[in-house]
Amino acid sequence: MNRHTNGSYKKLNKASVAALVTAALLSAALLCSGCGSKSAAAPSAAPAAAGSESAGAAAQTVPGGAVVSGGVSVDKTDPHTRTVYAMDTVMDLTIYGGDDSILQEAEELILSLERRLSVTDPESEMYALNRAGTLQVGAETASLLRTALEICESSGGALDITIRPIMKAWGFTEDAQRVPSPALIEELLKKVDYRKVTVGADNTVTMEEGVEADLGCITKGYCSDRVLQLFAERGIKSAIVNLGGNVQTLGTKVNGSLWRIALIDPFGNGYAGMVTVENKAVITSGGYERYFVEDGVTYHHIMDPKTGSTARTGLSSATVVTDRGVRGDGLSTALFVLGAEGAADLWRARGDFEMVLITDGGDVLITPGLKDSFTLLDSYMGKEVRIIE
Amino acid sequence: MSKIGTKAWCMILAGAFLLCLGAGFLLLKLPGGTVANVYRDGELIWSVDLAKVTAPFEKSFTDESGTNTLFVEPGRISMSFADCPDLVCVNTGTISNGAMPIVCLPHRLAVRIEKTGADPFDGVAQ
Repeated sequence: MNRHTNGSYKKLNKASVAALVTAALLSAALLCSGCGSKSAAAPSAAPAAAGSESAGAAAQTVPGGAVVSGGVSVDKTDPHTRTVYAMDTVMDLTIYGGDDSILQEAEELILSLERRLSVTDPESEMYALNRAGTLQVGAETASLLRTALEICESSGGALDITIRPIMKAWGFTEDAQRVPSPALIEELLKKVDYRKVTVGADNTVTMEEGVEADLGCITKGYCSDRVLQLFAERGIKSAIVNLGGNVQTLGTKVNGSLWRIALIDPFGNGYAGMVTVENKAVITSGGYERYFVEDGVTYHHIMDPKTGSTARTGLSSATVVTDRGVRGDGLSTALFVLGAEGAADLWRARGDFEMVLITDGGDVLITPGLKDSFTLLDSYMGKEVRIIE
Repeated sequence: MSKIGTKAWCMILAGAFLLCLGAGFLLLKLPGGTVANVYRDGELIWSVDLAKVTAPFEKSFTDESGTNTLFVEPGRISMSFADCPDLVCVNTGTISNGAMPIVCLPHRLAVRIEKTGADPFDGVAQ
């Protein structure tokens, strides 16, 4: 019995081994077939990790972009980034290709523009202009003033570069917010009118007494225009800058795909949507950026030049997608102040930008040019997007 | 001999059965999540957190190769339309975990459910 048992055990052991081997082979075959069905698709379309996908995409889509130097592979489209603190905000610059010297040039350019256009720097042209009332400024400042005045005019004064006295009264220029008296607002509004600023052919700027001009409403947008122009002049074909929330792109991404720019949800729940762009500025204005609450009422920093108070026209954010940052910067503020109907009128009249409007009720309106490039995200998914005609 | 052989085959089948169960369990436990990531040519082009979807909607992707339309529902996603020649992607049906992607090889498009969307944005306008 024992022998039989032992013999059986020996044979069973052999059988067990055979079973294990067979099972292992079976499982291997199973796993391989499973992997095979996936890997048939995965290598070209869906590798497992996003990171490796990006790397794979870069290697595939920029053939010849890599060179070997001293045995080390150097990608000509490697990203170079720099963070610049200027104009009271944080600026992130990213170029694909080139080197850090280009970013250094860009930083110097930003700082020089800040020095020239700041209304608080005693060395700046704008500071001098506001003190003198009449001043012959440099060609660049004059040109920028003309651009700003054109947007002021086309928006019917919804954007006004002379709003600074009102901003000061509300304390938004010094982070000491307060609600000014109606009498003070009424008095200050007499000084708010962009038509009281003229730029002569010889770049002489003339302003009526007591008027202050502030290009802060378009400076960041202009700055991103100039930075991307510099990048292009240095041979960069792909770049993205984010100047305190003003996003502007040069070309496409290095693999040829479009840049994906998310739009923040003005109600603070992640993102409202995303646009895919190439060579565009994407600039948003919203009351959620800077605000304070007094006696239960929220006051944000976007002032209506007509009332001298927080603009309340039913919009929570206005995003402009356009070719030029300076235009996007000025128009996004103007659209917010105009409200949905006024913004639509301005879009029809100008025809040089697209926009995404989010109302106080959370409704989303876009212009037809964004129909194929705009996508709702997060809690907005499934909502109806109204196309402005 | 034949009796032992039968036992051996029983063991083999039992082992194979257990391994199949294990493999199935592993497949169900593949890294998954709630974020459906859409890749074209291996690059992430769109993400949606299915856990945050409250109402069904469609999302189309078009390039020179053609159009794919996803039907996004709370917790799951499917390819509702494609103008590719084989329609493998449409026939894949609905997926709700990371066990299997939806792949449209003719359009080089893949939909995978993963734990997180790698940040799908290049910038945020605010």
